[in-house]
Amino acid sequence: MSALLEARGLIKRFGGLVASAGLSLDIAEGEVHALIGPNGAGKTTAIGQLAGEMRPDAGSIRFAGQEITRLPVQRRTRLGLTRSFQVTSIFPHFTAVENVMTVLLVRSGRVFRFFAAARRETTLREEARAMLARVGLEARGDVVAEDLAHGEQRLLELAMALATGARLLLLDEPMAGLGPLESQAMTRTLGGLKGRVTMLLVEHDMQAVFALADRVSVLVSGKVIASGEPAAIRADPLVREAYLGEDS
Amino acid sequence: MVETRRQAVVLLATLVLLLVLPALATAVGMPYLLTLGSQVVIYAIAAASLDLLIGYAGLPSFGHAGFFGLGAYVVGILAFHAADQSRFLGLVGGATQAWIVWPAAIGVCALAALATGALSLRTAGVSFIMITLAFAQMLYFLFVALKIYGGTDGLGFDSRNTLPGIDPSSDTEFYYICVMALVLVLGVFRFLVRSRFGMVLEGLRQNERRMAAIGLASYRVRLVAFTIAGAGAGLAGALDANLLRYVSPDALHWTMSGDLLVMVVLGGVGSLYGAFYGAVAFVGLQSLLSQWTEHWMIVLGPILVGVVLLARRGLWGVLAGASDGGADGGGGAR
Amino acid sequence: MTLLAEQLLNGLQLGVMLFLMAAGLTLVFGIMGLINLAHGSFFMIGAFAAAWVANRTGSFLLALPAGLAASAASGVVVEIAVIRHLYARSHMDQVLATFGLIMFFDELMAILFGRTPLLASVPRFLGGSVDIVPGVPYPVFRLAIIVVGIAVAVALWWLIGRTRLGMLVRAGATNRDMVRALGVDIALLYTAVFGLGAMLAGLAGLLTGPLLSVQVGMGDSILITTFVVIVVGGVGSVRGALAGAMLVGMVDTLARAYLPTLLQGMMQASTADQLAGGLSSMAVFILMAVVLLVRPRGLFPAHG
Repeated sequence: MSALLEARGLIKRFGGLVASAGLSLDIAEGEVHALIGPNGAGKTTAIGQLAGEMRPDAGSIRFAGQEITRLPVQRRTRLGLTRSFQVTSIFPHFTAVENVMTVLLVRSGRVFRFFAAARRETTLREEARAMLARVGLEARGDVVAEDLAHGEQRLLELAMALATGARLLLLDEPMAGLGPLESQAMTRTLGGLKGRVTMLLVEHDMQAVFALADRVSVLVSGKVIASGEPAAIRADPLVREAYLGEDS
Repeated sequence: MVETRRQAVVLLATLVLLLVLPALATAVGMPYLLTLGSQVVIYAIAAASLDLLIGYAGLPSFGHAGFFGLGAYVVGILAFHAADQSRFLGLVGGATQAWIVWPAAIGVCALAALATGALSLRTAGVSFIMITLAFAQMLYFLFVALKIYGGTDGLGFDSRNTLPGIDPSSDTEFYYICVMALVLVLGVFRFLVRSRFGMVLEGLRQNERRMAAIGLASYRVRLVAFTIAGAGAGLAGALDANLLRYVSPDALHWTMSGDLLVMVVLGGVGSLYGAFYGAVAFVGLQSLLSQWTEHWMIVLGPILVGVVLLARRGLWGVLAGASDGGADGGGGAR
Repeated sequence: MTLLAEQLLNGLQLGVMLFLMAAGLTLVFGIMGLINLAHGSFFMIGAFAAAWVANRTGSFLLALPAGLAASAASGVVVEIAVIRHLYARSHMDQVLATFGLIMFFDELMAILFGRTPLLASVPRFLGGSVDIVPGVPYPVFRLAIIVVGIAVAVALWWLIGRTRLGMLVRAGATNRDMVRALGVDIALLYTAVFGLGAMLAGLAGLLTGPLLSVQVGMGDSILITTFVVIVVGGVGSVRGALAGAMLVGMVDTLARAYLPTLLQGMMQASTADQLAGGLSSMAVFILMAVVLLVRPRGLFPAHG
């Protein structure tokens, strides 16, 4: 199996606390891979290391065949590895279209243009609108981002992540704080992206996880204790004991 | 940010007022208004370049006087060497023509900003404030120590830089040059903040973490902004030295950085044009209060505290409606 | 060699003084997240109050508590009237408002005491000098400053490391919400810390008074050197403040003492003097630039 992302033996300590204890993970090209686990299992730390915001104390990360363990966030983004945030992270004073345009113009690499008005660049604007359409926000493009509903902001974030040209999206609890209807909309949108972009989904919402994931890995105490198809994971006695048992 | 109708009206009225000021000053028999007007316009250029940093790039610089004073010293030093036919460091001769001296001032300040910015931008937040302050103060001590250029006494020179077809000794003509420079600088900045570069800069201020996540190397973008702002302050400093025909370390002193900051905030952070109104308010307040009492600072200080604590919009916001830069108070929060 | 011993002591004395300033400033930043330009004003207030009382009564033992009380009291008043409304504001707002406070205090001192420097004399029982090395006399007063500074550093270490107040301070520096959750009166804690910082600045001021002249604006230049100390040491860290203060004190003193002779060996005397004057007052800033290049967060960064 050719993995798009391979994490091997990641260790991350915070003082006495071990947040990643030899974490290993394979994500195959094209799949939706869910990472689940109880609170404090180290999911956020795991994403942080994959995205490049934290440096592991030991272990290695390869992405698309390239060693990236020591690359900073922006270099990883340019390679096609992008994260979303648990807390919505957008440009609050820009409109939705401008949010996506900003991503596109950073991606283009042509940032040092000092005179032409960026907001009047039609190709950029059209492309941004197309990205918004992919997440179902085409009608909300001219609304200032901080005035969007929470669910819409999460969708906007997704559009921005797509606009980076990501091959792998690290989605950190995309359903967090969403109402049931908004969750369903997000699940539908993510489902629509399936196959076109690889996703690592960290999520508490088990309905969404089992609806979307091709494979599930279970993280407990900083280690992946099981990895497999959703049905197999659901049936795994070890997982039931360590984790699912709490909920069911 | 396209100007609203009301903003356009306010800007136009201001420009007309600026253009008729010399006639007005003569008519009411208060010729010193002209000098005051030049001073306001020059400060406005420096304050606008500082606002580019604070309001758009989110970089709370407290050392802007360093570039302002350096620009002034370029004029003073070149005039000094031109007067006695000597050479600066034995290399560069003096000059008095504006088309040589002013670009030199701008260039020197841009280089200084590039160098200090390259170091300062390795930090953020409160360290950035302290470091920019410290670098400016370093320049201050340098010029205090340079006895050849007058040390603390400063450096006077006989006449302003020359421009073809313009009488350098005419205060009115010099005033119009300053107004032109202000219009030019604000025009350039207006393009700048609306460009791709400006959009990225503003995005960086709104959400730095997001910018890193979408792949921006923020350091270079900020360094370019810092350099441009330094160049703007350098031009203002060069004009200031011409206005006074004198330059002293006071132009570099950290209180000057503070004064520029006050103008930015009075005018409205992140409002571009606000810097001018802030400069008007600051110079106006200063001259009114100092006519009333020699201890005017004891009044201005608390006014400043009050403005920070109570007023959020700045003069531009009050005059012209909502601010258009999308700025929300200080850009200093980490 | 003998001169070196003397200069090292001078450097230590300046370092101690800078530490007294930096400790308060960095504590206030570490705990409340506030940058306070008016910290130099407390330095000035302490110096003025002590000099005034000493000149009136002739007693240093009365001047000392007067200087401490004046600076601590102004710290408390300023915190309640202005500073506490700034904690939640941006650093830029904090800079501006405290810049306004500097204007106010500088002018207030000018009104109360005039613009001519006030004379503060070394207390008689600390006058004279002793031989540090046989044949090298050193002023007792400067030695006393060093002793006081070391005592304060030890007391601060005890206060922060060993007491309940210190525990709250340390907890507050890493997690403000946690301290709030402990049910501690945060407002009171903040006022106390700010007042303590102001008092330390006042102590530095009243000790410096007899060495320099007591005049309006005297707090401003030391404030900027203090900023250098904090940046070098690492913002928010008291340990960093101590290390930074010693380093800056030494570099500044030694540069001023030795650069002129060093440069005279290389060039004309008059050029050397000018260059040395400029370079030695810039030395600490150059030090800061070097530290920034190597360790952008300072020598002892406060938070991991």
